Amino acid sequence: MIRRTGYHVAMSIVSFLWVAPILWVVVISFRSFDDVAANGLGSLPHSFTFSTYKSAWEDADEFRALINSLLVTIPAVLLSLGLASIAAYGLARYSIPFRRTILLLMLMGNLLPPQILLIPISRFVELIGYYDTLIALIAVHVGFGLGFYTFVLHGFMRDLPREIQEAATIDGAGPGRIYSSVILPLTRPALAALGALSFTWIFNDLLWSITVIRSGEKMPVTPALLGLQGLFVSSWNVIAAGTVIAAVPTVAVFLRFQKHFVGGLAIGAVK
Amino acid sequence: MTGLAADRRTFLKGLGLLGAATLVPGCATSTKSPGSGSAATGELSLQSNLSSEQAKAAMEKLVAAYNKTGGSQVKLNTVAAEIFRTQLPTYLTSANPPDVYTWYAGSVADSYAKKDLLLDVTSVWDSMGNYSKAMQSLSTSSAGQKIFVPTSYYWWGMFYRKSNFAKWGVTPPKTWAEFVAVCKTIQSKGIPPIGIGLGDTPWVASAWFDYLNIRINGAPFHRKLLAGEGDFTDPKVKAVFTKWREVLPYFDPKGKSFPFQEATSALLAGKTGMFLIGTFFADSAPKDALDDIDFFQFPIIDPAVPVAEEAPTDGYFASKKVKDPEGTKKFLTWLATPEAQNIYVQSSSGTAIPANPDGKSADTALVKKGKAMIEGAAEITQFFNRDSSDALQPTADAALTKFLDKPDQIDKILADWQAAAQKVFKAGA
Repeated sequence: MIRRTGYHVAMSIVSFLWVAPILWVVVISFRSFDDVAANGLGSLPHSFTFSTYKSAWEDADEFRALINSLLVTIPAVLLSLGLASIAAYGLARYSIPFRRTILLLMLMGNLLPPQILLIPISRFVELIGYYDTLIALIAVHVGFGLGFYTFVLHGFMRDLPREIQEAATIDGAGPGRIYSSVILPLTRPALAALGALSFTWIFNDLLWSITVIRSGEKMPVTPALLGLQGLFVSSWNVIAAGTVIAAVPTVAVFLRFQKHFVGGLAIGAVK
Repeated sequence: MTGLAADRRTFLKGLGLLGAATLVPGCATSTKSPGSGSAATGELSLQSNLSSEQAKAAMEKLVAAYNKTGGSQVKLNTVAAEIFRTQLPTYLTSANPPDVYTWYAGSVADSYAKKDLLLDVTSVWDSMGNYSKAMQSLSTSSAGQKIFVPTSYYWWGMFYRKSNFAKWGVTPPKTWAEFVAVCKTIQSKGIPPIGIGLGDTPWVASAWFDYLNIRINGAPFHRKLLAGEGDFTDPKVKAVFTKWREVLPYFDPKGKSFPFQEATSALLAGKTGMFLIGTFFADSAPKDALDDIDFFQFPIIDPAVPVAEEAPTDGYFASKKVKDPEGTKKFLTWLATPEAQNIYVQSSSGTAIPANPDGKSADTALVKKGKAMIEGAAEITQFFNRDSSDALQPTADAALTKFLDKPDQIDKILADWQAAAQKVFKAGA
């Protein structure tokens, strides 16, 4: 009994530590600028206001930034998962020559730190005339995600029983049919987990958006939040409010796919 | 056979997905032309780093006013200051760069001119005869061309709260000895006399280095040192740190952990006595506290050294690859007029002073005092990074932060600084 209580107390403290920074941001987001400036960020709130949310929404043009983010994130997630699942299907279910090498090669690309690719990518995107477009950003995200997603999906698909595929072949289904009617539905938990994960990654990306996009009105939400920081002085309360707003889509996706997410992780981990 | 057909269908499905994906952002982006380009329509793009709420609104007003005058239409594109700083070289070297940029006068602009990236705006200066000599030399590249159009400047000073100074019974010091005495008095009241904020903003310490150096060794020595013609192990540089050590015990020990914005709050709350900072800090002060704020000039150390002050100058330069050089120059000429600068100064935070001597600065006692101090100075310096380069600033941050921690290791710190600076100068040459 004592052990149980001890466990709960300890875990409560740990969870509180985990949640505290987020709570702090939420608290700051409701404070007025003069309160923050006079009492410092760390003090207890002396004011309560919703105006920070209004100014984050209007001044940072957060609505447009969120739309931009979704315009990039949704196609990028669908496209990269679609392509990765096709690649993983081929590599996992058919004896393609050098398939191990291909897979490792794709994964190797992910081991490179993205920073060393910044300049080549910005120059290349400019060369093909797609600099400062959302299409370029989608392409970059798809390209970078593909290796890892294929690797994960490959591991998952390889473990699906051989008999299912054989039965489908006997019933007259070709590789395409088997992919769309048999393998893909069975891969759903992994796809959902990866979908939630890649949504967060792409939505929260800052590096690539500032590399390939130059116009303020095309910036996704992360650089728009950075734009709330002035050259010298920043209204942290407005930034906090903007951050809270920007967190809503990712939290929503996570809540929606939570079950799959945890399940998918376990499936991938224990073979 | 069926396999083949199914294969093709999957392929088509994939293509459809691809098409849909490219179409969606296509809709969103096709309504507006890209931020740059479109020279044929006479549109100029202005890339601005003034992203804070007030400054951004002031820029929008400024651009709207110019667009009403006819001529090329200017399109303002505001990017977060931090993104702008890191991406500026990329913008300038890209094949289709934005036309006009907000940036800083002095060495930092010249470093781009040396790489032949900036438009020669000598003809714009024909209409700027009334600008001060200091502004002219700040806007001239090492090749002798005018490359920059200054529009405003601000100043640095030792800021304090009038009510607190009255409460502690101290008056603003003029000389170093008086300054040390004031520090002693404030400390005896249990308040750390000198505020500073170095967490996240380590460059604030450079103000101390700059000021001590220009007070002890003079502005010409300071500039040479920052341009790589001196040596940080020079005994004259060491003298700067010896002087600094005299007041080191009076620094706020908490200052290393928070950024300057928090240090401003500490000053306003009376938790520190004074704060060496640029006027931009006023943006982070509650409006009711502003009337109680005053400053004094950094104390004079050696009366024989001509007085220099730090007055960072902001303005604009243009890319060498502008599509419409005449339109760009017309816009820059307009930016140099007192009317344009008044629009900006009035709508921005109010502590900036127009670069054009005919421009009107805010009519507050604080701004008048600051303007008088700068106009009375024999020499003007910018700031560490602006007098050297953005690449040299981190070497200063590392050295000064270390000095504040371990002042007795000064010889080793200066040797390390020299080695780091040498690398920067070699890479730049």
